[in-house]
Amino acid sequence: MSRVKGERGIGALSEVDAAYEAGPKAEWVTAAQARLQRTLAAEGPQVFYDYLPHSPVGRVGVAANERGVIALDIGLGERDFVDRLKRRTRAGVRRSADHVGTAIRQLEEYLSGARTSFDLPIDLSLTSAFQRQVLLAALAIPRGETRTYRQVARRIGRPKAARAVGQALGHNPLPIIIPCHRVLGSDGSLHGYSGGRGLATKAWLLQLEGARAPQLLNGISE
Amino acid sequence: METRSVTDAAFEVLVERYSAEIYAYLWRLLRDPEQASDCLQDTYLRALRAFPRLRHRDHLRAWLYTIATHRARTLQREAARRSRRQEDLKDEIADPRPSVAKRVADREMLRRVLQAVDRLPEKQKQALILRRYQGLGYAEIAAVQGGSPAAARTNVHLAQERLKNWLQAEGAESRTPRRRSGA
Repeated sequence: MSRVKGERGIGALSEVDAAYEAGPKAEWVTAAQARLQRTLAAEGPQVFYDYLPHSPVGRVGVAANERGVIALDIGLGERDFVDRLKRRTRAGVRRSADHVGTAIRQLEEYLSGARTSFDLPIDLSLTSAFQRQVLLAALAIPRGETRTYRQVARRIGRPKAARAVGQALGHNPLPIIIPCHRVLGSDGSLHGYSGGRGLATKAWLLQLEGARAPQLLNGISE
Repeated sequence: METRSVTDAAFEVLVERYSAEIYAYLWRLLRDPEQASDCLQDTYLRALRAFPRLRHRDHLRAWLYTIATHRARTLQREAARRSRRQEDLKDEIADPRPSVAKRVADREMLRRVLQAVDRLPEKQKQALILRRYQGLGYAEIAAVQGGSPAAARTNVHLAQERLKNWLQAEGAESRTPRRRSGA
């Protein structure tokens, strides 16, 4: 950080330069920066969540940051949900019904059948570009309908990526809100579901939505 | 699934790249290591909160300077309301160059310089420090202060002229006997 050459009056300002040019002591800078790291780590980005221990699909945690809903987990205990959230977002995590109130209310309405679609900002920054493509394709499947993994793969222009599509949906950070449960195996089987009670939860959601898939409940027992 | 959010990574770059420079600026404005540190925390916390909503990310350096300038001004006004502490100047100079150090070894001179700089109108003081010691261009200073580049140039010029006049006037009174005693 050297002073600017060519300014007028530099000679007469040598005392001012002497007082200002060298800047703060290196140790002050280091101390202020170290403190800043601590301050930002404590403050950091914030994620807020709320937790429903008794929803129709069991335990549900919902988390949002200032951009939108960032995570929904079915079946995890509150402690596990929070730990997972911290690990994935590396943010400060706080329970706050206020911050996720809208999402929770819409979810409860949806699961009770009083609501048919979600109207929420979502944040997919925890996902890869490919996964985002898949999730957005799943988001476009209308309620009451289903698609196969292969159809979704074709839809995003990667017809051979059905398996990768399955993987991407398996890591859907916002199940229910992004209806990955509407994606089935090519033979109409439910194939897989990682949230809650697995396939039983997937079947329950499809039934709630009135999806027409005759072999839907084949082989599902509780 | 350990993907880091885009915002975090981009903000970390701001911390790494500019925090030392912003601290130096705050120290020059405030001339107090602790206050400058307080202000640095405040500046970056505000920046962190505003960052996700920031639309244009082309002028992040000037943006940080703007926040820092506001924070320093607020802090100074609060401090001024409580008390005026200009007396304690120990450890105020950090490793000045030896040749120049001789000229300001006298704490009286340093005190006069700091007081003179503080007497400048706020915008002139900021513009002078931004241009002369922080290396910002006039367009950047204009972005920080919210004026035109021409106004920034004028402010720097006026600040330098005023300081020159004040310090020469004072120096004429006090410099001669001191020099003799030091020789």
